[in-house]
Amino acid sequence: MNKIPARLRLNHFPGVGPIGVFCLIFLYFPMAIVVAYSFNGGNQALAWQGFSLRWYDRVFHDAAIISATRMSLEIAAIATVASVVLAVLYVLSMDRLNRAGNAVSGAILAAPIVVPEVVLGVATLSFIRMIGMTPGFWPMVLAHTCFCFPFAMMNIRARYQSLNPAYFESAADLGATGSAVTWRITLPLLTPGIVSGALLAFVVSMDDYMISTFLASAGTTTLPIYIFGLIRKGVNPSVNVVATLLLLMAIAVTVATSFLSRRQQGKPA
Amino acid sequence: MAARTAVRPGQLSAWFTTPAILLGLLFTLGPIVVITSFSFMSQPEAGSGVVMEFSLASYQHFLFQEDFYGQMYFDPRYLNAFGLSLWQAVGTTALSVGIGFPVSIWMATKPPKTQNMLVLLVTIPFWTNLLVRTYAWILFFSGDGTANTVLSWFGIEPQQLLYNSWSTLVALVYTFVPFAILPMYSALAGFDFRLAEAAYDLGAKKLDVVRKVLWPAVSGGVLSAVALCFVPAFGSYIQPVLLGGGKVLMVGNLIADQYGSARNWPFGAALSVIILVLTLVGAWALLAWAKRSAQTVSLAV
Repeated sequence: MNKIPARLRLNHFPGVGPIGVFCLIFLYFPMAIVVAYSFNGGNQALAWQGFSLRWYDRVFHDAAIISATRMSLEIAAIATVASVVLAVLYVLSMDRLNRAGNAVSGAILAAPIVVPEVVLGVATLSFIRMIGMTPGFWPMVLAHTCFCFPFAMMNIRARYQSLNPAYFESAADLGATGSAVTWRITLPLLTPGIVSGALLAFVVSMDDYMISTFLASAGTTTLPIYIFGLIRKGVNPSVNVVATLLLLMAIAVTVATSFLSRRQQGKPA
Repeated sequence: MAARTAVRPGQLSAWFTTPAILLGLLFTLGPIVVITSFSFMSQPEAGSGVVMEFSLASYQHFLFQEDFYGQMYFDPRYLNAFGLSLWQAVGTTALSVGIGFPVSIWMATKPPKTQNMLVLLVTIPFWTNLLVRTYAWILFFSGDGTANTVLSWFGIEPQQLLYNSWSTLVALVYTFVPFAILPMYSALAGFDFRLAEAAYDLGAKKLDVVRKVLWPAVSGGVLSAVALCFVPAFGSYIQPVLLGGGKVLMVGNLIADQYGSARNWPFGAALSVIILVLTLVGAWALLAWAKRSAQTVSLAV
C-alpha cells in the first residue's frame, strides 16, 4: 500500500474523521444530559440544584415503577427462556428440513423484524380477539417470545455454523450416540451463542412498547408502557433515573455480547 | 439464508423445528392473515372490533369520504399522513445513510482494536430502549433544555423547539443512524484493499477505483442500510407521538388511533395491509436485486 501516493490511497478519505467524531458526539451527548440530570437534587427535571441521589431513592421506593419493572422482568424472563429453547431446537434441526421448508419457515420466523411494529401490534391484538383470548399476561408473553425468537436464533445459528464439524464427527466415530453428541458436545460448544442470544432477547423484550401496549390489560402495565405515560406529560426527574438505569442495562448487555462473540472468533472452533 | 450444511451427528430430526414454526404460524402469520381479513370487514355500529360482513368500505375510506347527501368526494387527509410518513422516512434515510457512510469508512480504516471499540460504541445506542433515546431529545429540546440554553448565550429568546416535524426528524435520524452504520461498516470491513492496489497497478484512477472496485463491494451494505432505515421509519409511532406532540400525523399513529380512540378496526386493518404490502414489495424488490447482482443484502442487523 506504501507505493500509492496519499491522494490515491483508498483508505484515505479526507473529512471522514471529523464526521465520525461528530456522529459519536451526536449519539452520546443527549444521553449524557439525561444521565447528568438523573443526579439532580432539585424538584424539576431540568433546574440543576446540586448533586444528589434523591431521585434514585424516590424511584427505588416508587410502587408503580417497581410493579411495572417486575411485570417487565417476568415477561422478559419467560419470553427469553422460551425463545432460546425454541431457537436451539430450531437451529439443531433446521438443516434436516427440505429446501422449501427451510426457506418458508425462515421467512415466517424472521418476519417480526421486517414487519413494522405498529402493524404487528394491531395484528396480534386482532388475532387474539379472533381466537377468543383477552389482552393480558399470556398473550404478551407469546407475542414477546415470537419477536425475541429471531434475535436469539441469529446468534445461536451463527455460533453453530462457526463450529468445526470435526468435533461432531470424532465424537460419533468414538461411538457417541446422537443424543450424547447433542448433550455433551453440541450444547456446551453452543453456550456462548446461547448466552448472547438470551441477553439480546431479554433486552428486546424489556424494550418493547409498541406491541405490548396493544396487548396489555389494566393489571399488566410493563415498564415501557408506564414510562411512556410519564414522558407524554413532559420531562420528569423520575424518568431521568429510569432512563439512566435502562442505558446501563444496554451498555452491560452490549459489552457482554461483544466480549462473547469476540472470544468465539478467537477460538479455532 | 445460509447455504445448507451437511447433516452432522448430533443434529435433531426435522420434527424439532415444529415448536418454533407453530409459534411463528400462530403469532406472526396468524395475525397477518387475521388483519388482512379484518380489512375486508365492516365496522360495528358501536364499540370496537369488526362485524363479519364483506366490505371494501375501509379501502374506500382511505381516499374518499361521504358527504351529507351521500355523495363520495376525494379527501386527501389520510393520503397526507402517508405523504408525511414518506417524507419523514426519505429524510431519515437520506440523513442516516449520508452521515453513516463516511462514518463507516472512518471506522473500517482504523486499526482492528479501535474498530472493535467503535462498533461497540455504535451498537450501545442500538440496544438502548427506544423510549430512553426519544426522551433524551425531549429533554434536549424542551423549554429550559440544553438547546434553548445554548440559544440564550447568543441572546436568542427561548423557542418552542418541540412538537413539530423537525424535532421528529431529528429523533428518527438519531434512532436509525446505528442501523445505517452497521451494515455499511460490515460491507467495508470485509473489503480487501489489495484489490484497490491491484487496480492502481493496472492504471486505474481513484474515481474509477471507487466506482468499479469499491462500490460493487459495498453497495449491498448501502442498500441494507437504506432498507433498515426506511421501513421502520415509515411505520414509526413513538417519535412522532412524543416529539411531534399530536401535530405530526404519520401512518403509525393513524393506525394506532384506529385501534384506540377512533375505534375503527377495519380501517386500521386496511391501513396496516397497505403498509405491509408496500414493505413486502420493497423487501422483495431488494432481495431480487441482490440475487441478480450477487450482493448480500440483509434485512436484519
